Amino acid sequence: MILKKNPAKVLFKLLKPGKKYLVILLFILQIFPLHAQYAYASPKAKRVGYLQKEQPGIYGDKLTLNVKNEKLVTVLEKIEKQIKFIFVYANDDIDVKQKTSVTVSDKSLQDILKLLLIPLGINFTIVKDKIILQNIIQKSPLAAGSDGKTIRSDKTVTAETKYFLPITGKITDENGSPLQFVNVIVKGTGTGTTSNADGIFSLNIPDDKLKGTLVLSLVGFITEEINIAGKNNFAVTLKAVSKDLADVVVVGYGTQQKISVSGAVDAIGKKSFEGRPLTNLSTALQGVSPNLIIQQRNFEPGQRVNINIRGLGTLGDNTPLVVIDGLVGGDINLLNPVDIENISILKDAGSAAIYGSRSANGVILITTKKGKKNSAPVVRYSGTYGIQAPRITYKPVAAWENAYYKNESLNNAGLSPAFSPAQIQQFKNQGDGDWRVDNIFQNAPQQSHNVSVSGGGVNNTYLLSLGYLDQKNNFIGPNYGYKRYNVRLNQSNDIGKLKVNTILSYAKVINKDQPFDASTLIVDASRVPLYYSFKDSSGNYLTNPVSAQYNPKAILENGGERNSNNDEIFGNFSGEYAINNDLKIRGVFGGTVGSNATFSAQKTLNFTPGGAFAPDRPIYDENSKSLFTNVQLLAEYNKKIAENHTLKVLVGASNESFKIEASRVQKTFVDPNLGVPTTGTIVSTLSYNSVNGTTETSLNSLFGRVGYSYKDRYFLEGNARYDGSSKFAKDKRFGFFPSGSIAWRVTEEEFLNNVKSRVGDIKLRASYGVLGNQNVNAYQYQTTFFNYDNAYGFNNNVVGGSGYSLGNPNLTWEKAATFNAGLDAGLFKGALSFSIDYFNKTTSDILYPRLDIPLLFGAGSPDFNIAKVRNKGWEAKGSYNLTGKNFKHTFSFNVADNLNKLISLASGATEFSQQVEEFALLRRVGQPITTYYGYRSNGYFQNLNDIKNSPNFVNRIVSPGDLKFVDKNGDGIIDEKDKFILGNHFPRYTFGFTYNVLYKGFDFSAFIQGVGKRDAMIRGEQVEPFHFGYGGTMYTHQTDYWTPTNPNAANPKIAEAGSPSNANNYRTGSDRFLFNAAYARLKNVQFGYTLPAKYLTKLKAKSVRVYFTAQNLLTLSKLTFLDPEITEFDNNTTIRGTGANSARAYFMPVFYGGGIDISF
Amino acid sequence: MKMINIFKTFVMLMGIVVFQSSCKKLDLAPKDRFSELNFWQVDANVNNALNNVYNSIYTSTNVFYNEAMSDNAVSKLDVNTGANTIGNGNFTIDLARFRNDWAFYYSGIKSCNLFLENIDKNTTLPMATKNRMLGEVKFARAWHHFNLMKWWGAIPLLNKDITPEQAQIIARNPKADVLAFILSELDAAAVALPSRDQYAINDNGRITKGAALALKARVLLYEGNRMAEVATVCEALINNQSANGNYSLAASFSDLFSDKTINKTNNESILSLQYVPNLRMWGDYFDFAPISEGARTNNLSPTQELVDSYIMLNGKAINDAGSGYADSALSVNRDPRLSATIVYDKYLWTKPNGTSVTIYIKPGSTIAPAPNSNEFSTSGQGTATGYYWRKYWDPNYVGTLNNGTNIHLIRYAEVLLMYAEAKQTLGQLDATVWDKTIKVLRTRAGFTEATALNFPGTLNLQNIVRNERRSELAMEGFRIDDIRRWNIAQIVLNGWMHGAKYGDVGVDNGFIRAQFRNFDPTKNFLWPIPPSERALNPNLTQNPNY
Repeated sequence: MILKKNPAKVLFKLLKPGKKYLVILLFILQIFPLHAQYAYASPKAKRVGYLQKEQPGIYGDKLTLNVKNEKLVTVLEKIEKQIKFIFVYANDDIDVKQKTSVTVSDKSLQDILKLLLIPLGINFTIVKDKIILQNIIQKSPLAAGSDGKTIRSDKTVTAETKYFLPITGKITDENGSPLQFVNVIVKGTGTGTTSNADGIFSLNIPDDKLKGTLVLSLVGFITEEINIAGKNNFAVTLKAVSKDLADVVVVGYGTQQKISVSGAVDAIGKKSFEGRPLTNLSTALQGVSPNLIIQQRNFEPGQRVNINIRGLGTLGDNTPLVVIDGLVGGDINLLNPVDIENISILKDAGSAAIYGSRSANGVILITTKKGKKNSAPVVRYSGTYGIQAPRITYKPVAAWENAYYKNESLNNAGLSPAFSPAQIQQFKNQGDGDWRVDNIFQNAPQQSHNVSVSGGGVNNTYLLSLGYLDQKNNFIGPNYGYKRYNVRLNQSNDIGKLKVNTILSYAKVINKDQPFDASTLIVDASRVPLYYSFKDSSGNYLTNPVSAQYNPKAILENGGERNSNNDEIFGNFSGEYAINNDLKIRGVFGGTVGSNATFSAQKTLNFTPGGAFAPDRPIYDENSKSLFTNVQLLAEYNKKIAENHTLKVLVGASNESFKIEASRVQKTFVDPNLGVPTTGTIVSTLSYNSVNGTTETSLNSLFGRVGYSYKDRYFLEGNARYDGSSKFAKDKRFGFFPSGSIAWRVTEEEFLNNVKSRVGDIKLRASYGVLGNQNVNAYQYQTTFFNYDNAYGFNNNVVGGSGYSLGNPNLTWEKAATFNAGLDAGLFKGALSFSIDYFNKTTSDILYPRLDIPLLFGAGSPDFNIAKVRNKGWEAKGSYNLTGKNFKHTFSFNVADNLNKLISLASGATEFSQQVEEFALLRRVGQPITTYYGYRSNGYFQNLNDIKNSPNFVNRIVSPGDLKFVDKNGDGIIDEKDKFILGNHFPRYTFGFTYNVLYKGFDFSAFIQGVGKRDAMIRGEQVEPFHFGYGGTMYTHQTDYWTPTNPNAANPKIAEAGSPSNANNYRTGSDRFLFNAAYARLKNVQFGYTLPAKYLTKLKAKSVRVYFTAQNLLTLSKLTFLDPEITEFDNNTTIRGTGANSARAYFMPVFYGGGIDISF
Repeated sequence: MKMINIFKTFVMLMGIVVFQSSCKKLDLAPKDRFSELNFWQVDANVNNALNNVYNSIYTSTNVFYNEAMSDNAVSKLDVNTGANTIGNGNFTIDLARFRNDWAFYYSGIKSCNLFLENIDKNTTLPMATKNRMLGEVKFARAWHHFNLMKWWGAIPLLNKDITPEQAQIIARNPKADVLAFILSELDAAAVALPSRDQYAINDNGRITKGAALALKARVLLYEGNRMAEVATVCEALINNQSANGNYSLAASFSDLFSDKTINKTNNESILSLQYVPNLRMWGDYFDFAPISEGARTNNLSPTQELVDSYIMLNGKAINDAGSGYADSALSVNRDPRLSATIVYDKYLWTKPNGTSVTIYIKPGSTIAPAPNSNEFSTSGQGTATGYYWRKYWDPNYVGTLNNGTNIHLIRYAEVLLMYAEAKQTLGQLDATVWDKTIKVLRTRAGFTEATALNFPGTLNLQNIVRNERRSELAMEGFRIDDIRRWNIAQIVLNGWMHGAKYGDVGVDNGFIRAQFRNFDPTKNFLWPIPPSERALNPNLTQNPNY
């Protein structure tokens, strides 16, 4: 036999169909001579027969093999070193120089060979001590007419000997980066391989699996199954398991595996902020986490917002503690949203107790981005540009209509008309003036640009990020706006067992503001009837009888400006030293240096015919500097005891100290051009120096955490903190705040294996603990006497005075006992995941002034630890992935509710009401903390008979068309006793909904945020036509009012201020002022396109995405004339944003624009 | 063994941690304030505490806006003062004004009581100084009690500082007890205090012996049935000036309120709220003046009823036969105090720089280049009645009509008027008394005709004396007190308050209706005790019919 040339060719010539025995025989014959002649490729070939006694290792001994990109021949040699077999093959049949990678451990020889050889298209047969290799794919063409399939199946000597089809593919993650080490298995077979560093895999598919399925799996990614369907080239994207139970979550003073978290912690990834034209992080948080409630008091650039977790738990400050990269004390609003890696919201005692005395309102842990080890530098640019258009929510009626309504209002009050029919006709003929609020607003651009470089070596990582935001103000005038510059450098270095981490950031904010209170400008511009214009034909700024003092357009254009210029430097240096595998110690030193400066100068403006702005030319400089320092020392001990027990212990101590020094110089009658002192300049008494402007606080703490888990199935955790605060007297200073929590991964139980495999993972959690709140002003425990200037005058000279503030030496912490129960589920292989939590928090010892002291005591009460509030609620969030053929949809939602109830208010006193202009706010035990309080209307008096027969206030004169009020106690008269609780100002049923869809390179997302239930009481000209004589106009939303022919109108009869009808309808606090402020708002829409790989190489870029983005495009609400999002309350439950409840707040901007993300 | 070592290391680390945390001190005291322990020992602090008592004695807002409770004025916007609401009777008992005034006076009393109870902690001030201070503070405490009694009748009398717990149970003292306390305190103050002439010039503005006596006269006058005592106290002030202080009328009625020097250095002022230009000022004129003269709005407008009360130069009331009055020439031959008090249509307004401008108020009457912003209109920020104020106009105002002039709380003219009223009530007002009182006032005002200056005889004398008081003291907050104690509030506060004759002739003779008033004599002579106070102190009873 002349086999040397081409043994197969010769062999096949001999084959005939149907002669199977011959084939087998020949096959066997073929091997031995081959071996005899060609087996010298194997170094051990000469030892044939050397080890024949036993055959271990085939099914017995386990082997380990770890090779990467090595020649097959080398791999074979490695195997030979471990076993007593030799490989036998023909050099021209098997390409032993081809490179391969395989990582297996503890596998039988058979398994290893399958993994190694099958993907390479090599079959193997073990005969005694030899492993015979043979190429599966025949290199010679089939003989004419022959059926290769049959033949090859006939020649099978092992189970794997089949017809094989080679396939290849590339596996990438969602960002297009190749994924290595992905296991690729043909379902139902042992055939498989792993992807290489470029994400490429190649595999030979057994012929009977050509219609089979490929299973691609990698830890941290959702396993994909792909129909082979005869194709031979695949491009697969694996999606990271975002809700994977293997995720790591940032918690207080450390991180935890998500599976072991037993408290209520919500992790928000950077995804939530990407592609949105965000101006600060706090507004970015709106709607992204259930019961993380963000409210604004107006929408002006640079304004602060109310951040609240799980509703109101105290009558004092409800602001959560913000911790940035492990340090308390930074300003959330100065962060660049682009720099955020993730945010953890600690909502319950189980997670927050480690922050002790300041954790009762929840904790927001912010972690910034870092570089990755072993990665080449990545340069990333992202930018957005767009236009903000003010959303003006109301419109005055035309001038001639206004004159008509005014006459009616006067007439209804028994007064003579103000306009003759001829005048009204004249207004109609000449059209409207331009004095309207729209004309002091304009569209304004907003842009942001961010560049970062990140990467790392074997022992270090780095990230340098630069950001720039420029948000112009919508007010007309000389370029008002808000600018922020951010620089961040995050670095880490491993020096042996020591890990050093350095974070440095710098933020600068420059806000150029209009020179005067925005709500006054807005109200002056909006309640003047359209008979008037801002300017006359010769360009003079005018005033008119309704706005006799100010011309807001003139003030905005020429009235001066207010500039704030704030800097913050944040530094965080930490060193972590691993004493051994189990024990680490960490020292952290960090702090924040803040320097804020505001300069304001108003310029005198005189208007025609009268009125003036800033006749005294006031100017002020306000400067403050603050230093916050934080020293922490922590020790962490983690130990796996036996196989199933894990113990984790953390103890730490810290000091946090804060000092702020502020001063202010205020002058009037300065030089009108330069602002410098000149003849007549007066230093105002509002000036103060740093002695008056200094506050200092300090907090010493010990804290710790013990965690224990069994089989990753049961988790127990305890947290505690011991705080000593300078805000309280010596013996009231220290507080202990413990918590405990448990978690049970139900589906890890063996008896629920079935559920786990069919449905998914379910975890139950519960926690209970006591949290503290010390958000009170410093020094309150001491009675103090303060001097003030200009108390009185004698002989035309001023003298100073002394006042006093009573202290309460017994002042101490507020304590919030919090119970939380929750459930986490990841179902259908992670396609659906959700969490549900219920909480019940009772805050006692709430600091509140005593309300049981009559005013005749003669002095205000200091705070006492007296009130008590219970706050209950729930939250749910979830996400669902739906992957179709071309489309990938992600739906995520969150919804939450909270409702607080005042359990006790003040020693003895069960209610307190505060009049806010027309209506009242009430604090009453048994009700939510702050409720709206007033009379309930009951339609209108329709006729005199109706008036005679309906209850009314004593002595009050009413007429048809006036509001009737409900006689609550049925005593026939309306008085104090007939007031109702009308509503609750705090949002309930808050929700967020996000929809994402990917189609090829296109992506679309929509984010809707809203409030399901909220009441707002609103006063002012938007509610009352011709508001109280201050306002001169009616608005289009007010024209449906009572007349004898319109008896069921939306509004009562219009009547002049001072008239009995006006007193009854508009000076009496009733539900007339109550509005439904529930809303749903399309917060963000994005439509993007990611460039395919083929263009990227030309651009030398790693990825490029361009997108259109819009904010606040649509709003659904019954409240139309005022933005439903804004609130008049601050986080202390006190009224602060008076523009909000009078519809005089800066309007919400609607943003339209685009952005681009490029990385190189 | 290994485990034990690890444990040892762990414990050691914890020790370091604890040590490290105990280093920072937590006793932080404010640096800008005194504590109870060291406050009173410092003389300057005692002076400052006394100044604080002065600071809270009264407010400019109450002086002026109380006029809107009476028939002298209306307050269109009625922001925060509640005066209008009280005036038109349309209030509920939880009106903030009641609470605010109640709290204001009681907080003033607390400052007084704290001062009186702590001054002995100071051992360095001279005894004479301390005695004088005690006199000043006792006066202030009596003043606050008097104001409380005036509005509410019987009230809790606080002759010492009380605790919160006492405040929860203290009851109202009978009015007679409160009255007796006020009178005895004023007597004590009068003894302790120097007369105005005995004070050093730098103390100008302090409470004097004269002030204590004058307030005593007012307290007695308001009782209505103690006129003989009123007369006696007034006589002490009029006739014994060497002991009680030299007082006389300022030469110019107008300068007393508007001239920056005379306002502060006259012999007429017995007690004034003291202001200092630029440093301590009052800003109410921003809402009083004609709009063209720098006002923001007009929130206190004089009524036609007040305007009509000014007599003619011949001494006759405008509706007396032969008065010579015509609506069309409203200001002609009128009491000069009318134009010193009120701005009417075509008023010749003197600007701070000495030039004049005509104030056109009648709708559509403006003759350019005069501004038309002062015209009466039912819309807009101008006057609600067709009149503006002039009294207390400060031509040296700062910025947005901020004034540094003093506001008189007690002046010698009032003493003369009290004396005349007391004597009239006693049936003793004769030509001698007339010449010492009303004649002097009218002469100073600028009357020259004998028919106005000479004693008119006893016919209608009560009205003449009362009207004199109204004309002299308009815009100083007295009218509401007077119509209550004269028992005429239910008459004059009933129906429409009017403005100028710019209206429909068919309605009220063409005088514009400014505001409807209603006064319920069964209860409105006293204010209701704030219901919130009664809720916290069950021993506080309510006034009748509230």
